[in-house]
Amino acid sequence: MKKIKEILAKFMNRMELIYEHKLRPIMVKVGFYAGKYTGISWLIKKYQRLKHRTRSAITGLIFVLPWMIGLYAFGIRPFLSSLRMTVADQAQYIINTDTQTVDFVVNGWTFRHFVELFRNQPGHVQTMIDVFLDVALIVPLVMIFALLLALMLNQPIKGKGIFRVIFFIPVILLSGNMLSYFNQYNLLTVPAIQSGAIANGINQYLPRQFAVLITGAFERIVLILWLSGVQTLIFLAGLQKNDKSIYEAASIDGASMWDSFWKITLPGLHNLMIINIIYTTVIYANLSNNPLIGLINQTLVDVRYGRAYSSMLAWMLFVIELLIIGIYTLLIKLSNRRYN
Amino acid sequence: MNRVLWKKRLMGRYGNDGLLFKIILYILFIGIGFIFLYPILQMIVTSFMPLVDLVDPTTIWIPKNFTLRNYERAIEALNAWQALKDSFVVTLIPTAFVVISSALIGYGFATYQFPLKKLMMGILLVIFLIPNILMSIPTYVIYRELNMLDSLKAFIYPAIAGFGLRQTIFILIFYQFFKMIPIEMKEAAEVDGANAVVVFLKIAIPMSLPAFLITSLYAFVWYWNETSLALLYFPTKYSTLPMAVIGFRTLYENLYPQGTVGLEGASETFNQGVQFAGTMLSIIPLLVVYFIAQKWFIEGVDRSGIAGS
Repeated sequence: MKKIKEILAKFMNRMELIYEHKLRPIMVKVGFYAGKYTGISWLIKKYQRLKHRTRSAITGLIFVLPWMIGLYAFGIRPFLSSLRMTVADQAQYIINTDTQTVDFVVNGWTFRHFVELFRNQPGHVQTMIDVFLDVALIVPLVMIFALLLALMLNQPIKGKGIFRVIFFIPVILLSGNMLSYFNQYNLLTVPAIQSGAIANGINQYLPRQFAVLITGAFERIVLILWLSGVQTLIFLAGLQKNDKSIYEAASIDGASMWDSFWKITLPGLHNLMIINIIYTTVIYANLSNNPLIGLINQTLVDVRYGRAYSSMLAWMLFVIELLIIGIYTLLIKLSNRRYN
Repeated sequence: MNRVLWKKRLMGRYGNDGLLFKIILYILFIGIGFIFLYPILQMIVTSFMPLVDLVDPTTIWIPKNFTLRNYERAIEALNAWQALKDSFVVTLIPTAFVVISSALIGYGFATYQFPLKKLMMGILLVIFLIPNILMSIPTYVIYRELNMLDSLKAFIYPAIAGFGLRQTIFILIFYQFFKMIPIEMKEAAEVDGANAVVVFLKIAIPMSLPAFLITSLYAFVWYWNETSLALLYFPTKYSTLPMAVIGFRTLYENLYPQGTVGLEGASETFNQGVQFAGTMLSIIPLLVVYFIAQKWFIEGVDRSGIAGS
């Protein structure tokens, strides 16, 4: 191993020398003439004469340029066409079999789908409220669990490599098609809890209603643990960036672990927490077992409602997500201000 | 004196190095680890069972007639080596583009001030929040117009432009990590004559290695497991392992028509053992990649610690 490393280092050294003495002068020359004759050097000169602020704005825009192109190519049109659909009288995609294209046909402007939802469909409104409460409850719980797991994984203990691999399993199993696959074989719950010794014990020694509550809570915890895989690793990466010397300094100053958690660790993770809240909300709201998603899919094919109504419901889901993210982000921002 | 010593050993000096703390930690780790491991273990065990064991209700965990036949047949039916190659092509190329472009875009948003920046970030977020149901058909139409279907372009072009799989999260992660770098450092480098590219390469990247690590891991896993989009955009061009697993039953029954009798005289019909063997084949590469990557996770600590002082 050492020998290979030495040989590699020698090789890299030589390559560097060749680059410095042979390649670079040629490249500089070529670059100079290319710049001179294509007008690039003129542009650069112009650019260097600009004010510092304008210059940094231009640099920033160049960095963001790929996204702006993407926004034009892939973002704006789907966004606008789906928004247009919600205020359309009739909207549908018609597959043209001759030319193998999908045509998007919308007619009319109306708000009758909104009126329909809030006046004539109390069941749908109830589903929306349920979904809102469900997501609003799950998000902070996932945050707490993910933070706890990340703190645990960051402790200096033996065998943490193996545990880190195990804790990565939810990331693998909850992506793509895997989730429905595992649900199909009923693998994501631990049957020992439902039918095994633990449940028997709980059912025997506790009052019935209390036992149901406990097993229900347990199932919820298992679900939350499964949902918090990605967030745990994001927190872990944030914790790894924290400087160890700050903690040492704090403990010399007499701060307990509890203090340094609330005063150093948590404020450092606030911004990552906002990202995690966004991620959790979006992923959880778009899981296929979400009743509102089921409703959207159901109204999509139902002639009584149609695509316009269904896409309006999807926008309602969007509003729910936005509300939840807004509320929690605001809470975090407020608590952040208190520490500063 | 003795009691004090014992207390120190039990509770630790800082609170996180005592014996009691470690025991609790291990109990929690093993408990939670079991919940995560359970489906994988169940799958591994079942994948080694022949049909005799699967129908035998007394066999729960340990297979009585251990067999590798399920794997042999799964490898054959899935055309596993070709599928593995396809998987790596379909996964690695978009992953590289996603990570690089997310880093660039996140750096642009985090470091520079330009007009309409707040609005742009708002749009970035809003588009991520739109339910997939709304976006899928219009996106497909656009891809067809841009002639991106039936090739890897359907994954690569959006990845370059910041519209890859859940890429907004990557952009936001990079945004936060680049934001944590003190401005004085960048300014000092700029005073020394370094231009934007040099600052990005020599200061920003070395200081946000954990961000690069997790984004590449997530992008890798998500592209690896993305079957529905892959089946929509290039159903015939590539056949990755997870894609093959979806159509596993048909592939298998083409190879072993119902009623084929195997070597041991057992029936070779499609069963859960074979199904799980196929799924395991598609998961194992991910676990291996993560096991290698998590070592860099630990290394990343020291490096960022030095650079951050």
